[in-house]
Amino acid sequence: MKRAVSFIVNGERLELELDPFRSLLDALRNEAGLTGTKKGCDVGDCGACTVILNGKPVNSCLVLGVEAQDARIETVEGLQAADGALHPLQENFLKLGGAQCGFCTPGFLMMAKALLDENPHPTEEEIRFGIAGNICRCTGYTRIVEAIQAAAKEMRRE
Amino acid sequence: MSDLSVVGASVRRSDMRAKVTGAAQYAGDVRLPGMLHAKMKRCAVAHARIARIDVSKAKALPGVKAVLTHHDVPRVLHFGSPHPRSASLAKDQYILDDKVRYWGEGVAAVAATSEEIAEEALDLIEVEYEPLPAAITLDQAMAPGAPRIHDVAPKGNHVIEPVRVVRGDVAKGFAEADVVIEGVYEMGRPTPAYMEPNVCLCQWDVEGKLTVWISTQTAFMVRGILAEVLGLPLNKVRVICDHMGGGFGAKQDLFQTEFLCALLARETRRPVRLEFTRKETFLGGRSRHPCRVWLKQGFKKDGTITARQAKAVYNSGAYASHGPGVTSVGTFALTSLYRCDNVLLEGECIYTNAPIAGAFRGYGVTQTYYALDIQMDEAAERLGMDPAELKLKNAVREGDLSPSGHPIVGHGLEDCVKHGVQLVSWKDLRNRKKGSGIKRRGWGMGCEMHGSSAYPGIKEQGNAIVKLNEDGTATLFTGTAGLGTGAHTALAQIVAEELGFTFEQVSVVHGDTDVVPWDIGAFASHTTYMGGKAAQLAAAEAKKQLLERAGDRLEVSPKDLEVKDGVIAVRGVPAKSMTVREAMLPTRGQPSPHIVATGTYTPTKSYSFAAHFVEVEVDTETGQIEVLQVIPVHELGRIIHPVAAAGQIEGGIQQGIGHTLTEDYMIDEKTGRSLNPSFVDYKMPLSMDMPPIRTVMLETAPDPGGPFGAKGVGEDPIIAVGPAIANAVYDAIGVRFRHYPITPEQVLQALSAK
Repeated sequence: MKRAVSFIVNGERLELELDPFRSLLDALRNEAGLTGTKKGCDVGDCGACTVILNGKPVNSCLVLGVEAQDARIETVEGLQAADGALHPLQENFLKLGGAQCGFCTPGFLMMAKALLDENPHPTEEEIRFGIAGNICRCTGYTRIVEAIQAAAKEMRRE
Repeated sequence: MSDLSVVGASVRRSDMRAKVTGAAQYAGDVRLPGMLHAKMKRCAVAHARIARIDVSKAKALPGVKAVLTHHDVPRVLHFGSPHPRSASLAKDQYILDDKVRYWGEGVAAVAATSEEIAEEALDLIEVEYEPLPAAITLDQAMAPGAPRIHDVAPKGNHVIEPVRVVRGDVAKGFAEADVVIEGVYEMGRPTPAYMEPNVCLCQWDVEGKLTVWISTQTAFMVRGILAEVLGLPLNKVRVICDHMGGGFGAKQDLFQTEFLCALLARETRRPVRLEFTRKETFLGGRSRHPCRVWLKQGFKKDGTITARQAKAVYNSGAYASHGPGVTSVGTFALTSLYRCDNVLLEGECIYTNAPIAGAFRGYGVTQTYYALDIQMDEAAERLGMDPAELKLKNAVREGDLSPSGHPIVGHGLEDCVKHGVQLVSWKDLRNRKKGSGIKRRGWGMGCEMHGSSAYPGIKEQGNAIVKLNEDGTATLFTGTAGLGTGAHTALAQIVAEELGFTFEQVSVVHGDTDVVPWDIGAFASHTTYMGGKAAQLAAAEAKKQLLERAGDRLEVSPKDLEVKDGVIAVRGVPAKSMTVREAMLPTRGQPSPHIVATGTYTPTKSYSFAAHFVEVEVDTETGQIEVLQVIPVHELGRIIHPVAAAGQIEGGIQQGIGHTLTEDYMIDEKTGRSLNPSFVDYKMPLSMDMPPIRTVMLETAPDPGGPFGAKGVGEDPIIAVGPAIANAVYDAIGVRFRHYPITPEQVLQALSAK
């Protein structure tokens, strides 16, 4: 039996009918049409599906859609400003080579946002630890770390 | 100093805004009305005949729309990787066979209204196997009386007749040697582990045309083989791939599922989507070839190499895939890197009842150069020479015969070694006092060269179309794929540079076989080199037509004109000018004839070079090897986009550290069962594991075969870093490892045996 679930994604309330076994990831991708969040493993190993749930980063493949009742969810689609301006994290990933194939990128961006929301002055070590649950197979991570550092600096200035 | 304005600048990549906003559409993001979900049933036996397969219960499950087994699909013997020529010499695959040859091979497929129902249906399919004796390892498959895995094999379990390369007289060379060194090197089974699992979506229209959305490096090869196996003309198959989440070589193959997805869609008259689970990317994906290299070299006292003899045996797994190409490229690579007039090389490619090995970054050379560059380190010690000095003495140089049979352009390897030696103060590092504490540090170097393009194994071709629009902008149509490297941006830069436009004035259309010109695909580090040169040729032709038109209007000869930032001016008379837009404007209300130019490029080959310098720390109590820093020095001819080029190098190093120290896809040697098909058990370097990388890129040996002298970079880094690590470990603890991955247990065992 499907159940009615309602949560707020990027500031907009969504009403969905979900199977109780449906993951939040599948709910976002298949029911809400928000395919920016990626499925890299579906078992919580890779971090590509990271979204922010009530202020905390989660692997959305490990959260059931029905568990998200009334939650506030942030996904990569909500990162840019209303006028289309890129978030400093997006801008620096773009400019500094923090993304290549881009498949892990939405997860990294959301994990990094959660990290900076909590700690605006992270050391390199703290950044590396913060993204340790996100796998990237293209970049070697250095440029991702640099992009997060650069974004943190810009965000502090703002 | 470069006189170029767009080439060489790290412009904003054309694919990036979509990727950082979540707007980029990958094949797995496409949804169609009425779409069904497919799953493949995989066997749990290494080698067997299917005695009986019963799908009646699966078909009866509500929500199941179709089930296919080997009884229901066309039986057409085809290439696993559909290159038109010799990289895929062995036709040995059926969509579904009445036999399975590895644990995890597909035996049936189901389409249903949901993924869960499709999965449930898989459990209802009854298969009775008649087990056959299996040969899981190289030794088992090469033993006398080993079970034969393919009837089409030329002999025993050989995928192809052995590759044999003879230059000079190897016996004479060894007779002249003062020192002879011999060793056996054994390489494991890393997998590409791209982040985007394989996925395809198939839809037929009412006219019988098939459209396939798929994550592939080779859209035209997918089109070609689907057409061949399903019996369709090429204009009835359309393959679409916009963004893709990595491939690293492996996504040149077909994986059974593409055919099955298309056939299920035809049978149900509905779109059908099939996406691998992460586990399936291991089970049914492609790994690098496990490989054993026996290598023997002779040296004069002064370090001159007098002879090189080798036998490389590659484990192809259950099907040929890229085995023939990998064996050939990896074996031929041993003719070079370090000069040697007398070589005798043999390469063998062997079927086993193990997962299929395919193309993976480095393409056979990762294995043979790991052996070669470790042996050079061994030789340096025996000769009492510094390894860098020994490598410099023998480094290939301008005019030497390359593995492809072409003369080498420039002194790329020498430049990389010399530059790196100076940068890291190599002599001081190697001569410093060795530590004797618990944690011991060491430095090592590894060298490589790698061809841009698969020539002469495959005669390749890149094509491009450049269209000038009536507002003075340009559109490039390219058939090459964007794996994530930034290739389309690089191609647009090349076109802008050639036309004299700004980067923003050029856009790129790609990823649809019905729209873009034919291209062999994105692999062999040839996209910028070959696709870029085709784009440059098309742009040059478009510019010629543009200048003829502008010459008419300005009443000057076209050859006196130049274009910069979209303005056409008479050379030396800047006042006499017009914008490209003005040249393209209608005259007397009549639209100007359009300008559409094509470029076709059939490359031979150029070689890029690298020397990597690595510092490691070995914990003698835990056996842990930590890479502390990597200084990669690469010679690339001409750098189109520095950030993207460096990104290739750093990502390749990440994968190279992985296969040297931790990554190994393990298969049970008795049952053929997959032992670690997940990201928890298959250990890749993560953010905490990666060392600082100080990338150096040189432009000392530009190749006229590439656009503005550019050569490839994709595969090079993964080759050089492995032997650099192994050699650094030796420098640190005095233990010589001749295999990968080098695990902590092995370090401890070796230290206690010392």
